[in-house]
Amino acid sequence: MGAFVIRRLLWLPVLLFFISLITFGLGIYGPGDPIQVLLGLRANPETIERLRREYGFDQPFHIQYLNYVTNALQGNFGYSLVKYRDQPVGALIAHALPVTIQLNLVAIFLGLTIGVPLGLLAGLKRDTWIDLIIRGLVIAGISLPIIFLNPVLTFIFSRRHDFVLAAANIKFSIGPLLPMVQGYWDGIFSSKVLLPAFVESLGVIAVLTRQMRAGMIEVLSEDYIRTARAKGLRERIVVVRHAMRNALIPIATILGLMIGGLVAGSFLVENWFGVPGVGALAFDALFSRDYYITMALVLLIAVAYVLSNLLVDLTYGLLDPRIRKA
Amino acid sequence: MSNSENAGGNRWLIGVVVILLIALCGAVCVGGGVLYFLMQPGENPLSRTTPLPGATPGQRAAPTARPPATGGKPILRLPGGTDPRTLDPAQVNDTNAGEYVAEIFSGLVTLDKDLKVVPDIAEKWEVSDDRKTYTFYLRKEVKFHDGRAVTAQDFKYSIERVANPATLSPTAENYLGDIVGVKEKLNRKAAEVSGVQVVDDYTLKITIDAPKSYFLAKLTFPTACVVDKNNVERGGRTWTDKPNGTGPFKLKEYVRGQRIILAKNENYYGEIKPKLDEVQFILAGGSAMTMYENGDLESVYVTISDIERVSDPSSPLNKELYIGPSLSTGFIVFNARKPPFDDPKVRQAFAYAIDRQKVIDVVYRKMPLTAVTILPPGMPGYADPANPITYDPAKAKQLLAESKYAGKLPDITWTTIGAGGSAAQNVQVMVGMLKDNLGARVSIQQTDDASFFNTIDDPAKNPYQMFDVGWAADYVDPQNFLDILFRSSSTQNWASYSNPEVDKLLDQAAVERDNAARFKLYQQAEQLILADAPVIPFSHSREYWLTKPYVKGMIHPAMIIPRLKYVSIER
Repeated sequence: MGAFVIRRLLWLPVLLFFISLITFGLGIYGPGDPIQVLLGLRANPETIERLRREYGFDQPFHIQYLNYVTNALQGNFGYSLVKYRDQPVGALIAHALPVTIQLNLVAIFLGLTIGVPLGLLAGLKRDTWIDLIIRGLVIAGISLPIIFLNPVLTFIFSRRHDFVLAAANIKFSIGPLLPMVQGYWDGIFSSKVLLPAFVESLGVIAVLTRQMRAGMIEVLSEDYIRTARAKGLRERIVVVRHAMRNALIPIATILGLMIGGLVAGSFLVENWFGVPGVGALAFDALFSRDYYITMALVLLIAVAYVLSNLLVDLTYGLLDPRIRKA
Repeated sequence: MSNSENAGGNRWLIGVVVILLIALCGAVCVGGGVLYFLMQPGENPLSRTTPLPGATPGQRAAPTARPPATGGKPILRLPGGTDPRTLDPAQVNDTNAGEYVAEIFSGLVTLDKDLKVVPDIAEKWEVSDDRKTYTFYLRKEVKFHDGRAVTAQDFKYSIERVANPATLSPTAENYLGDIVGVKEKLNRKAAEVSGVQVVDDYTLKITIDAPKSYFLAKLTFPTACVVDKNNVERGGRTWTDKPNGTGPFKLKEYVRGQRIILAKNENYYGEIKPKLDEVQFILAGGSAMTMYENGDLESVYVTISDIERVSDPSSPLNKELYIGPSLSTGFIVFNARKPPFDDPKVRQAFAYAIDRQKVIDVVYRKMPLTAVTILPPGMPGYADPANPITYDPAKAKQLLAESKYAGKLPDITWTTIGAGGSAAQNVQVMVGMLKDNLGARVSIQQTDDASFFNTIDDPAKNPYQMFDVGWAADYVDPQNFLDILFRSSSTQNWASYSNPEVDKLLDQAAVERDNAARFKLYQQAEQLILADAPVIPFSHSREYWLTKPYVKGMIHPAMIIPRLKYVSIER
């Protein structure tokens, strides 16, 4: 077991080496450069040359890369070049990371509480109209692009909507439910979290619902369920104790894989709803060619995925000794 | 439960549900499309104060924030837009950051409301006969926010700091590069700036490399502001978290992505004292207009989506509307190194073929002014041109027929900053006009701004045939437009324009002592340039702001100046 973990962890530096090399290369050889973005139209060639020299951007690629790695290994991930000029990258990420993790946790929580019961219901009521509606909603949910959902939700919640029932001569209005879309980010215990978390949870809901439905259908066709029913157990006990528990195992695996995704923020959701998380920071960094922020974020996300995959493999290993040896 | 039976019995139900779902999706898509169209009523790439949702990459299109109520105190709440890149005077090179820095810090000279250079910490100055040495006499009562007195040594330190290569200032050459020794120190050829001498505690002598009438105007930019040595050295690279400035306001609180709060500097030395207790800038961008209408902001910029209802004279908002110049010009640039624009007749033909007035009226809903000159109105030396290029399709056709590309105009690519499926409306409309009036086949290429700036940076190698850019004044002098953009040796001569006659006039203007004569020379140069049409001046953007009637003294100057000290709240 220990050897397995060590063997897997030894791969991590190799992986990080290739990821960092590619990201760094894309930054240096890709179009545009941070000095140019910083100076904009007022770029004075003398200034560009001086800043490139002072930052060491005129050095050959391998020297720049080695310098970066040396500093990074000492915990210095550089300073923002453009967007948050001179702020340490570490501090910027330390500011953004908890926000994204919290938002993603809320999204996963929403996904669990909505997706699992829906999948359970769909699996139990397989091929009935309930199943059809749930499956339709799930497909609609993952098919609607975020870039479309965001403005629609904002429109719905930021405006007052007047309704008139002409027949009954009733007028009423709903909204604007401003707290949900107004106000800067206030943490996850404010209503501000609802819309971004909802949008982000749609994918989770879809995955969990489909997995849960498939799991239920599979488990319900197993022999031991028939045996349990034949014993005369009440249907509730059959479903809850025997079927649902087994159907939940793959859900746990999926959740394990989602742990790695916790640190990666959504560009579209965070930018639109003003969530100051990793996604918004990465967006800013990419568009202003703020290399060092991009580098650090890519490495962070890579490490998180590697570790979460390792965690999932370990739980498999615990469950199935055959995998440990492989 | 029998699945097959259920499936068979419910087949009709499947059909109904599927149809319903398709109908639902269709309705949502159509409705959403309409909403989406309504919510993105076009964007104005030439204006710098219109953060629309999703308009520009990098701008956070957040919904609005609800700042705390002011409780009747003299507190001004303004929209802050995105986070400033920096609060360090040596690092500021954009208006967003400049706005805060101009209030927190101050320098030798500043601009008044009319954008004239006036004394600030220097109460007076003398210029030597060769017009290369400036002797500044400092006020004696000026103190940093922490109470320490400001002396000439502090100015010496501040200039040395900008010139220190380790400071990595992006503006050192542009604003202080005229001072003898600054460039040497920046390039590590000198340890000290020889052109800055401390005569005594309150006298500072600055020597520049050649007589330059615009030198004082450059000193009004934040780069030349005074900073506190202790503050900078103790704070490290993030010293601006607690900046110790000299300006009319001090930084009270900055929560990134949320708010910046400035508080009154009780010991401000200036004649005009700040009257507001606090100024709160609400960051996070978005629909600031809603906040203004809800009474959560005292002043707000107007975007193109609100311009029609705000301009309506019967609207109550119309009485709160301010419209002012912004000293900027949007240009369509022709690259004279690339065919067919090496022939001035083609450039002129293109200029006559574009109905700029119509584009501004329709696409921009008349927000900017239509430009016929390079210098924006309000700039000294601005004059109405004798025979401006206006829309004239017949003349355009005639000019093209006279050009060497008559009948064999090559395909042209217009490069513009932008992303997404459809290019900026203004460019599309103008490309249509060129096709209708000249039969020109112009295709549009979009690029992101990082690549765009990188490409036009070197005019000699720039592959773009034509492109559009905006230029806003750095300092109030015609030199800032004509010399920088059209001198043949200038590195910002994007059009690769070269006219020895223009260069000669620009040389003369640079050393002319008398302002009236100087502006005359610039006007002559401008006429020559306009006739050659290396660029089409397209628009001069304008500031549109709404301000609550109980706010007095609010100004929206075209340049970054300390302006909040003029403002008071009188309910």
